[in-house]
Amino acid sequence: MLHRQTALWIVSILVYAFLYIPLIIVVVFSFNDSKLNAEWAGFTLHWYKALLNNHEMLLAARNSLIIAISASFLATTLGTMAGLAIHRYKLKVLPILAFTPVAMPEVLLGVSLLLFFLQVLNLTLGMLSIIIAHTTFCIGFVAIIVRARLQGMDESIFEAARDLGATPWQTFHQITLPLIRPAIIAGALMSFTLSIDDFVITFFTKGVGEPILPIQIYTMIKVAVTPEVNAISTLLMLLTLTLIIIATRFDTSMLRGESK
Amino acid sequence: MIDLLQRLARLSLALLITISVIGCAQQDNSTGSNKTPTRILQVFNWNNYIAPETIQRFEASCDCGVKQDYFSDNEEMLAKLAAGASGYDLIVPTGNAMDTLIRQGVLIPLDKTLLPNLKNIHPAYLKTIFDPANQYSVPYAYTLTLLGFNSNKMRELGLPTDTWAIIFEPEYLQKIKGRVTVLDSPRELMSAALLYLGYSANDQDETHWNQAKELIIRAKPYWAAFSNTSYIREIAIGDLWVVHGYSNDLFQAALDAKKTGRNFAIDYAIPKQGAVMSLDSMVLHKNGKHTGIAHQFVNFMLDGRNSAELTNLIGSGNPNIDAKPFIQPELLQNKVIFPDEDTLSRLEMITDLNHKQRRIFSRIWTEIKLR
Amino acid sequence: MVFTSFRLPGEFGGLAPINILPGEVAGDSGLTTETYQFFFSDFIYIEIFLKSFAVATFTTLICIAMAYPLALLIARSRKKFRNLMIMLVVLPFASNFLVRIYAWMIILGPESGLSHFINGILAFFGIAPVTLLFSPFAVLIGMVYVHLPFMILPLYTNLEKHDPILLDAAQDLGANSWQRFWYITWPQSLPGIFSGSALVFIPVLGMFAIPDILGGTGDIMIGNLIKDQFLGTRDWPFGSTLSIMLTLAVLGTAGLFSRFARTRNPV
Repeated sequence: MLHRQTALWIVSILVYAFLYIPLIIVVVFSFNDSKLNAEWAGFTLHWYKALLNNHEMLLAARNSLIIAISASFLATTLGTMAGLAIHRYKLKVLPILAFTPVAMPEVLLGVSLLLFFLQVLNLTLGMLSIIIAHTTFCIGFVAIIVRARLQGMDESIFEAARDLGATPWQTFHQITLPLIRPAIIAGALMSFTLSIDDFVITFFTKGVGEPILPIQIYTMIKVAVTPEVNAISTLLMLLTLTLIIIATRFDTSMLRGESK
Repeated sequence: MIDLLQRLARLSLALLITISVIGCAQQDNSTGSNKTPTRILQVFNWNNYIAPETIQRFEASCDCGVKQDYFSDNEEMLAKLAAGASGYDLIVPTGNAMDTLIRQGVLIPLDKTLLPNLKNIHPAYLKTIFDPANQYSVPYAYTLTLLGFNSNKMRELGLPTDTWAIIFEPEYLQKIKGRVTVLDSPRELMSAALLYLGYSANDQDETHWNQAKELIIRAKPYWAAFSNTSYIREIAIGDLWVVHGYSNDLFQAALDAKKTGRNFAIDYAIPKQGAVMSLDSMVLHKNGKHTGIAHQFVNFMLDGRNSAELTNLIGSGNPNIDAKPFIQPELLQNKVIFPDEDTLSRLEMITDLNHKQRRIFSRIWTEIKLR
Repeated sequence: MVFTSFRLPGEFGGLAPINILPGEVAGDSGLTTETYQFFFSDFIYIEIFLKSFAVATFTTLICIAMAYPLALLIARSRKKFRNLMIMLVVLPFASNFLVRIYAWMIILGPESGLSHFINGILAFFGIAPVTLLFSPFAVLIGMVYVHLPFMILPLYTNLEKHDPILLDAAQDLGANSWQRFWYITWPQSLPGIFSGSALVFIPVLGMFAIPDILGGTGDIMIGNLIKDQFLGTRDWPFGSTLSIMLTLAVLGTAGLFSRFARTRNPV
C-alpha cells in the first residue's frame, strides 16, 4: 500500500507541476527585459509601464469590467431563479435548458448567438450583445452551483416553516435565501470570472470599435508577441485568482458541483 | 433583510463602478485634445494607412475630430460591416471589396463638385472595372503583392529574383527550403499561382484553379509558413530569404535592415509573369453622419502634399500626379511606387467572386491547408 | 419561481442554413439543401470532422491517464487536505483561457529551453531538429492543459464516494493491490470517467482557439472551419450547415456518454 501511495504521490505532483509551471513561466517572463521574450535577459518593470500607456488596452479592460459586472449581476439573478426552479420542479427539460450552454462547444454557442442577434433580434453588435451573450452561458454555471447547494439541504426546514404558517414569500425570503447566499455569492464571482475571461463567445458577438480584453490579448498574440502580453496576463491571473479564492471561501461545495 | 440590503449594496456598487468607468472612458476617447469636438468623422481604415500628421492637419483645417477604426484584411472589414458595425463615414476598401460594397448598395455617390482635387489623379487609376465612372470612389493609395528577397543570399545561391518560379518550383525551392513564406491569403496566393501558370489572376475556370492548387500543394513542403505580418520582421533580421508580400511592408523591411546595419540588403521586384495590384479607394458609407466633412476629407487627401505624406511614410504606391514634388527623391525612382507603362500593363486588380465561386474557392483553400 | 431559461432555446433557432447571404444582393433566397450537398461533395469536410474526433479522443484519453492518479490521491487523502488540493486544481482554471494557451507558446517555442533540450538529445542520436510549436503535438498539449481540470473534478467527485470497506474486504479475501483496483475501484469510477470525458470530449470537438494559436496550417479543426465561414469567407449558410453537423455530432456523443454513465450502478 505504501509503495502504491508513493507512486500516486509522484504522478500527482507531476500533474500539479504540469498545471502550474506554464503559468509561472508566464508570470516570470513578464519581467523579462527582452522584446523577443525567448530567453531571460534581465529584470524590468518596463512592460507593466507600457501597459499603463496602452490606451487600447485600458479601454479594453474597462469594457470588460463593465460587461463582467453587468453580466454577472444578471446571470446571478436569473441563474439563482433557474437553480431554484430546477430543484423545485423536477422536470427533466429544465436542467437541459439551463445547462446546455455550459457543456456545448463554445463555437456553436457563439455562432447561434450571432445569428440570433442579427437575424432574429436585428440587434447591432456591441456591448449589449456581449452582455446578453455572457449572461446566457453564466446562468448555467450559477444554476449548477445554486442547485448543488439546495440538494445538500434538509427539506424538513421548509416543511417546518410551512407548518408554522409562513407564506411562500416569507419562506423564500427568510429561510431559502440566507441558506443559499454563499452559493449565490460564489455564483456571482464565478460569473464575473467567466465573463472577464471569455474569448470565443465574445469573439463572435462583439461589435466593432470597442476593444475587449481577451480579444486584445488574442490580437497581440497573433500579431506581435512581446512580454507586454505576459504582463497583462499576470495582472488578469491575479484578479481571477483572488476572485476564485473568495468564491470558494463562500461555498466549497461549488468546487464539486459539476454533476450533470 | 440583510441579504436584500447586501443585494442592493452590490447593485449600487456595480452602478457606481460602471458610471465612474464610463466617465473615465469618455475622457480616454478624445484624441488627445482638450476640447471634445462635436463633429467627428468616423473612418474605417487599414492599420497604419495614414500619417498622424495628416490627420492632425485635417482636424485643424476643418475644426472637427477624426476617429479611426482599423482592420487588417478586406474580408474582416466586410464581415464586420455585415455583422452590423455601422456609423462609419469613410471607408478605405480595396478594389474587390469596394465592388462588393457597391453591389450591396451601401455607398453614397460622390459629389464631384466638392472634390476639385480629383484632377490630380493619374488617369491610369481612374475608371476601374469596379467603378468605371468613379461614381463612388476615388483612389487613395495602392500596394503591389510581389516577391521580397534578401539580395545577398539570392546572389550567393544564384537564384533569379524576377519570377514567381522561386516560390513554386522545387528546383529553386530546395536551395531555400524553410526560408520562404507566402501570404496567408487565399486570393493572393492563388493569384500568384495562376499568374505563374500563365493565366489571369482573375481566371474563373475551375480546372485552372485546380492546377494552381496542385502547384501550391507541391511547393508547400518547402515553405516555412503562411504569413501575413510576421514575415516583415523575419526577413529584416535575416531569418527568411524570400517572401511573398506587400510592397509597403517590404519597403519597411528594407528600411529596417538598413537602419539596423545588417550585412545584407532587402530588395523587392515585380515578377515578370505579373502581379496583383491592390488599389485602395476612399468611399462614403450611407450610414455615416457627416457627408460634408467626409467630402472635405476626401478632397484633402487628394491634395498632392497630403497624398505624398503616406508614400513617404510607408512606401505605398501613389496614384496622384500632383504628389511628385513632395515625394522623397529616392522613392521617385522606385518602379513599385511609380510604375511605368510597361510595368502597369503587367499588374492586375483582383475582382470579387460570387458566393458559389467563393464557396468552391474556400474549399480549395481548405484542401491546400490540410494536405 | 420564474422560468428564465426561455431565452436559451431561442439561440438554437438561429442555426438554419437558409440561403440568404449578408452583404450580397441575393438573387436566390429561401430554404435549400444546397449547402448540405456541398458538404458531402468532397471528402475533405468529413476528413476534418474525423480529425477533430481523433484529437478529442486522444485528449480525453490523456486526460484520463493524468487525472486518475491525482483524483485518486485527493480522494484518499485526509479530509482537511482535500479542499486545499481541489482548490489547487481549480486555480489554474481561473486564469484566462488565452493566457494558458500563450504559456505553451513560450514553452514550446523554437528558442525555448525545452526545445533546445529536446533537440539537443535528438541531435545526439543524429535526428534532425523538430519544431514543437505549430504542430499537432502542440495542439494536443494545449487541449489537455486546458481541459484537465474538467476531468479531475468529476472523477474526484465519484471516487470520493467509494466505500473503503469494499477494499478492506477484498484485501482480507487475498486480493493484491492491482486486483483491488481493477475489480473494485475502476468499475465504480466509470460513471465519473464518463462524466469527465463528456466535459472534455465535447468542448474539444468545437475548439478553434487552440489550433489557431498553437497549431500549424494543417492542424485546423471543425471549429476553425466554422469560424472562417462566418468571419472570413462570409459564407454563413455553409457555416450554419457545418454548425448543424457539429451539433449533431455533439448530441450523438453526449447521448452515448450519458448512457454509459448511467448504466453502471455502483455495487
